Amino acid sequence: MSETPCRDVPLQEWTAALTAARDEGFDFFDWLTAVDETDAEETPGFDLVCHLMNSSTGRGTLARVLVRTRVPNGQPAPSATGLWRGAAWHERETYEMFGIDFAGFDDGTGLGLRPLLLPEGFDGTPLRKSFVLASRASKAWPGGKEPGEGAGGHDGGAASDKPGRKKINAPGVPDATWGPR
Amino acid sequence: MPVDLPMPRIGAVNDDAPRPIKLVLNWGRRYSLWVFNFGLACCAIEFISASMARHDFIRLGVIPFAPGPRQADLMIVSGTVSDKMAPAIRRLYDQMPEPKYVISFGACANSGGPYWDSYCVTKGVDQLIPVDVYVPGCPPRPEALLQGIIRLQEKIASETLSNKAIRAKYAGSRRAAAGEVTRPLLSKTEMTGRDTAGVPS
Repeated sequence: MSETPCRDVPLQEWTAALTAARDEGFDFFDWLTAVDETDAEETPGFDLVCHLMNSSTGRGTLARVLVRTRVPNGQPAPSATGLWRGAAWHERETYEMFGIDFAGFDDGTGLGLRPLLLPEGFDGTPLRKSFVLASRASKAWPGGKEPGEGAGGHDGGAASDKPGRKKINAPGVPDATWGPR
Repeated sequence: MPVDLPMPRIGAVNDDAPRPIKLVLNWGRRYSLWVFNFGLACCAIEFISASMARHDFIRLGVIPFAPGPRQADLMIVSGTVSDKMAPAIRRLYDQMPEPKYVISFGACANSGGPYWDSYCVTKGVDQLIPVDVYVPGCPPRPEALLQGIIRLQEKIASETLSNKAIRAKYAGSRRAAAGEVTRPLLSKTEMTGRDTAGVPS
């Protein structure tokens, strides 16, 4: 399958780009999510991605398009609930997972943006790269490939013993300031 | 006229029964395990496979047709327990009448499995409810479940069941007996109120 065409638009033109795509015939809202690009070289922030389909092209030739914009950290994005009512769940999920606010969000209940999937009382935005996984604070990562390997702490053990193995700083792994383990 | 049907309890007879009678009671209990399948992920497929003709755990007396937790003796938690699902598991476990048993089926239910560092997965169902038998595997084969059931039956055969023993077994984890986790039937007005609530007009 060929790559889905992607339209990159500035944040101010988000609603206009979605409206234009819908008027072109991409009237089926498939999904909306975000990508954490806060470690990008230029314009760090979150990529807001929306996948739309053209339902009128017929079976087997379903046209698709991705609309993408970069939202700086802490800034609200315009809501798409005015264009598709079904965008409400996706925006609520993006809100709880990435902490992105949606200006003008309206799902008809008047309750505003609120968590959708996370258990009650959950603290934090788990799909951000800055979210630390607490289990990894107590257990070394990456661990050994074989049993008995990598019994050392987070920085010691198998990872640093092997000269060929590159040390990886994966998202979610707590750094050294979390203390000895 | 409302009929008062209290939760069945283990009577005093069980406490004072002589050994041969206890043997017979345990024998009856171990070969009539009505199972309540808490299928949460792919392990549930292996559970279903174990219940079908090839592996057929019904020949061990495990009956997978419990209408709900209130009619079940055994709960098999098969799959990934998420933190969001955890209160439901606890509640349904509390609704099961005692004596009740739990088999934790698969790596996820045992310890979190491949999701050991996830933000939303409970690290083992034993953090919520007391587990009798753990079946390892990802997912375990149906034969592993059969072995787990046999181990549980051995455990049941050797136990002394009395109110005192049950209290000791569930000490620290028993929050409510089945009869306490109940809710009155909904009246008709409540039902219609529930249907319209939350629907935008």
